[in-house]
Amino acid sequence: MKDQNFEIVAAAQDTGGEAVAGRWYDRANATFTTLIDAQHAVSSACQFINVPMGIWVDEKGRVVRPAEPAWTTDQVMKIAGDKTIVTEGRVYIDALRDWVRNGERSAYALSDDEFARRVKPRSAAEMEADASFKLAVWFHEKGNQELAAKYWEHAQQLNPDDWNYHRQEWSFGTDAGKKWMEKFQKLDKPYYPALEIKKQ
Amino acid sequence: MHRREFLLSSAGTACALAAPPAGVTVLYDDRTVQLDHVRPDPKDLWVRSADLPRINEFTLKPQGACRADMCIPVPRELKSGPWFNLSGFAQRLHQASVHESGVWSFGEMPVLRGAYYRSRVPPDTAVPDRKGRTVHLSDFRGKKVLIVTWASW
Repeated sequence: MKDQNFEIVAAAQDTGGEAVAGRWYDRANATFTTLIDAQHAVSSACQFINVPMGIWVDEKGRVVRPAEPAWTTDQVMKIAGDKTIVTEGRVYIDALRDWVRNGERSAYALSDDEFARRVKPRSAAEMEADASFKLAVWFHEKGNQELAAKYWEHAQQLNPDDWNYHRQEWSFGTDAGKKWMEKFQKLDKPYYPALEIKKQ
Repeated sequence: MHRREFLLSSAGTACALAAPPAGVTVLYDDRTVQLDHVRPDPKDLWVRSADLPRINEFTLKPQGACRADMCIPVPRELKSGPWFNLSGFAQRLHQASVHESGVWSFGEMPVLRGAYYRSRVPPDTAVPDRKGRTVHLSDFRGKKVLIVTWASW
């Protein structure tokens, strides 16, 4: 779709930066814009709480669709017990193609009212979690893992619904998988926000 | 650790740092700013007013602290000679800050987030690309863009 004045901007949230994320970009033969976002700055700006998530932005810089899962494949992943993660990639990609082709006439371009309904104001705790996470990443990069862990956990406690914070633990230690599973099992709400992508 | 206990323990840390290190690191928006000169204070972060532009792009003017087309009145108690109380200013804006061992991390300014809800234009942010070059989300004006995050984990 590049010939239709369309660009993909991908941000890798790995705390390990290029050393960790780079090989995945190479493997994908990425021809789009590839960012290294250890601080989760894009997620903070766009209000993403998991990966992959995306927003569509029009030529004027206005958000057409706010934060939602940006899957590329249809999958049903059985995690444990009766818990599953269902991804809906086909409908998302079809809708994206429609918008790239038709712009604001696309049935998937959201009205101001629908945008307002979907975008929730960020709480003070969520914003403090961002600051705490950023501090943790700074200590991590400086090699102070004790303080990194302290502020990492603080961010998770302040904003427990943000799975970016929880999943980042995979970069540390050997018990990240166990901790993730425990949190996932206790989850009483969807792991991803709902993908509401019916035509308007 | 619960939030209250955490804040209390951090306050203890702040008191322990009553004689602050020579410099302070400030994490603000997408910037990491090293300040060699700050005013010693057990609680607040006092920076030189002259350092404000490189910290958060604000400049002190008679009408207040100004950035682009926004000016925020600054109470007298947040200024002292060449010094400006950055953490006090953040508190006034309901902006989160967390600090430890000479590093201050600030959350986003709620006033900017509020603008997103009205205008649908998200806060601009700068992120390095694979070669370390800075990319602003606003660099793509004039194109349709899908902004998407991913991770190897």
